Amino acid sequence: MRARNPQLREALAAEYVLGTLQGAARRRMERSLKDDPGMRRLVAAWQERLAPLGETIEPVEPPAQVWRNIQARIQPGARRAGFWANLRFWRGASLVSTALAVALAVYLAILAPGPSAPQTRVVVLAGQQGAPAMTVSWQTRQKGPRRLRVRVVSHDEMKTGTAWELWMLPGGDRKPVSLGLVDTRPTQELVVPEPRAQAIDDAAGMAMSVEPAGGSPTGLPTGPVIYQGFSSWL
Amino acid sequence: MADLDVIADLMARCALRDQRAFAELYRQTSAKLYGVAVRILRREDWAQEVLQESFVNIWNHIADYSSARSAPMTWMTAIVRNRSLDWLRRPNQERGDEDYDLLVEALPDGAPGPDVILGASRDARALTECLKQLTGNQRQTIMLAYTHGLSHGELAQHLRQPLGTVKTWIRRGLDKLKGCMEGSEAAN
Repeated sequence: MRARNPQLREALAAEYVLGTLQGAARRRMERSLKDDPGMRRLVAAWQERLAPLGETIEPVEPPAQVWRNIQARIQPGARRAGFWANLRFWRGASLVSTALAVALAVYLAILAPGPSAPQTRVVVLAGQQGAPAMTVSWQTRQKGPRRLRVRVVSHDEMKTGTAWELWMLPGGDRKPVSLGLVDTRPTQELVVPEPRAQAIDDAAGMAMSVEPAGGSPTGLPTGPVIYQGFSSWL
Repeated sequence: MADLDVIADLMARCALRDQRAFAELYRQTSAKLYGVAVRILRREDWAQEVLQESFVNIWNHIADYSSARSAPMTWMTAIVRNRSLDWLRRPNQERGDEDYDLLVEALPDGAPGPDVILGASRDARALTECLKQLTGNQRQTIMLAYTHGLSHGELAQHLRQPLGTVKTWIRRGLDKLKGCMEGSEAAN
């Protein structure tokens, strides 16, 4: 049962963030947040509003064991230490125009998909300042290949001898998967065949890296990632 | 306090599974977040569990985070607070009587005056100004609820007031804060 009265919704969001909402009411609130984007926005607003109250709280160093436990829990398998060093995030402006910074900002996430009905999903890829550079959209939950509609909103110059490669980020610890090369045309289409096509619907996000002409020679990003965006999930 | 742009950059790298960035994120933010958990839970063993679970959550759900929606520390603090409050409010997990007495001893008696200073950031200054517009009781109950995770019932007990009175102070205080902060939010 969802509270509809706007004042009541506001009060619930505020007390949830404050911490005074308890027991069954708190659990109801947490369940409702999953499929009530309006309530999520109210809660987020209250979190921002009340956040400075936390500035009075003294920091306390946690014991070293806590970090060791965290590390153990996030790496089930072998270490992947070397791989991400290839992305050269914070170095190597050499392949990228000087107007564009190499550092990334996480930008917006869109659209609440229905779990089974086909929906249009959009990922907005942005650069460091958060300004959108391109959007990738497609229809989910369909048989067959995915036709990705890529719209380039703004971009930096593409140097000769380089290519832009679009990557799907499957999430978790899985490696990026190439979706193909894009150029600076305002509208493009990339066709992604199966079985990769199905995986895109559940992708955590997408990224674009600058590669040598013809794309990455290794099948993984070798150049700087200049745009990145995430899919929302519930 | 770590520079917030650095934190946002670290989080972006974490989203791409850069574990060194995650280690650095932990190094820069864990003391503050552990402090939040300790203040609410009053027990370090519980706070350590919560901190651990929170950071594992942060790693697993970093793709959910959007800088367009909230500041990085706000997002991470919310995770820690929610886990702490959930921990506290588990059935049979109320703070023990001994813990409660210690808690009561440690809390300030008087209402924090209008001069409570939260910090120098723009958001902190806006909230400080708006807190001044609340009555002492409204301000005190809100701050105790937020920083110490006190329930309505615990606040009523600590302040020796009827439950209804405490609930009203909080509700009115929050309403006033919203009205006041929306004014400064609009200005920015």
